[in-house]
Amino acid sequence: MGNMEKIGLALNFGVPLLILIVAYFVGNFIEKKHFRQIIRREKALHGFPVTTFQALPPDWQVGRAEMVTGSVVVSLDYFKRIIAGLRGLVGGRIKTYEPLLERARREAILRMIERAKKGGYDAVINVRLETSRLANARGNGHGIAGVEMLAFGTAITLNQR
Amino acid sequence: MRFIPRSPEEGINVSKEHPLVEAGTLIVGVGLIFAVIAVALIFLVEIALYFVPAEKEAALFEDWLPNDIVAVSEDDERSQAVDALLKRLSQHYPNSPYSFRIAIDDSEFMNAMALPGGLIVLTAGLLDAVKSENELAFIIGHELGHFKNRDHMRALGRGVVLGILFVAISGSGAGSNYGASIADLALRGFSRSQEASADEFGLGIVHKEFNHVADSWRFFERIDEGEGELLDLMTYLSTHPSPDDRVDALIMLAGENGWSITGELTPVSW
Repeated sequence: MGNMEKIGLALNFGVPLLILIVAYFVGNFIEKKHFRQIIRREKALHGFPVTTFQALPPDWQVGRAEMVTGSVVVSLDYFKRIIAGLRGLVGGRIKTYEPLLERARREAILRMIERAKKGGYDAVINVRLETSRLANARGNGHGIAGVEMLAFGTAITLNQR
Repeated sequence: MRFIPRSPEEGINVSKEHPLVEAGTLIVGVGLIFAVIAVALIFLVEIALYFVPAEKEAALFEDWLPNDIVAVSEDDERSQAVDALLKRLSQHYPNSPYSFRIAIDDSEFMNAMALPGGLIVLTAGLLDAVKSENELAFIIGHELGHFKNRDHMRALGRGVVLGILFVAISGSGAGSNYGASIADLALRGFSRSQEASADEFGLGIVHKEFNHVADSWRFFERIDEGEGELLDLMTYLSTHPSPDDRVDALIMLAGENGWSITGELTPVSW
């Protein structure tokens, strides 16, 4: 093994390893921070009715109604991607993805509620969640750039409840 | 209808397991699985070697010259002299299935390689560094020893197997860089025992050619004395045993066989 090969080997294995370590710490930091922020905002919005009812309860009298949406686009960090890649070999729960999607769901719903509050609405009913995959331009569109999480529902004002 | 607000419950949708625990389990587990597969495949290489005898290999790789490994310097005027020396030396390896060929690589680093089909690659840097035919004869004899033991095929087989395995793990494309590095390592890495055995064969050839083994290891002594540049030395050491161990082993070998370690030297013609 010559010097060039040693350098090549260091670049081939050392650099991804370094990125992996950095990605883990940075990703972990951002995730923890985001969860703290989500919990804080959820507490602030506590009591705002968000339901999956398709039809209104008969005793609710609705004034205005509007569709509100909240959307968030999330991406994997390198650490999660590598671990998920290994998981893909043997199967099972991709545990590193779970907090990522949990964050996305709750963030999207929060944004939807914030939008509804801003519009002066009292509740959101018939809430639905949708995801779509955003393809990466690299890798012939097979790579995943990120996932969009979209929460939408019908915001309503209540005359009385 | 009464509405009772509730906060989302924590920890239902998210595993409690620490991501590093999952990472560690997966890396160790998958690593073990692939280590087992690699060992099994390397064993298969040994079986394949048994079924592809040297004659078949020689026919298969007759004109093979891998351009991505060797940058042949076509117009090196030393090639005729080296070729002539190879012809003389290969006579002492009778019944060899190979028709040996020399290619001079234009690299300035000192190295020699044995490749399938009887192809011996010497670098221009190595030819610059040898001072006598006796030194060069031992280097060529050593590579002939690799052919005798079929180390070159073993290394190639392992390289291919590990390369394929790596591409299989990483999916096509993405991991091919890693695959190439691993394959490269396997391709070049002969074990110490393989090197020692090739040395023994090479020294025997030198003795048959010159009737003495004087200066066979002079080349390695010079490396050991630090005559070559550091970079050269590192290149050489990484594929071969350390020079002073090697010289000691060669002197012992000559003593055991009663081969004279003094004699007339033939200087190189360039």
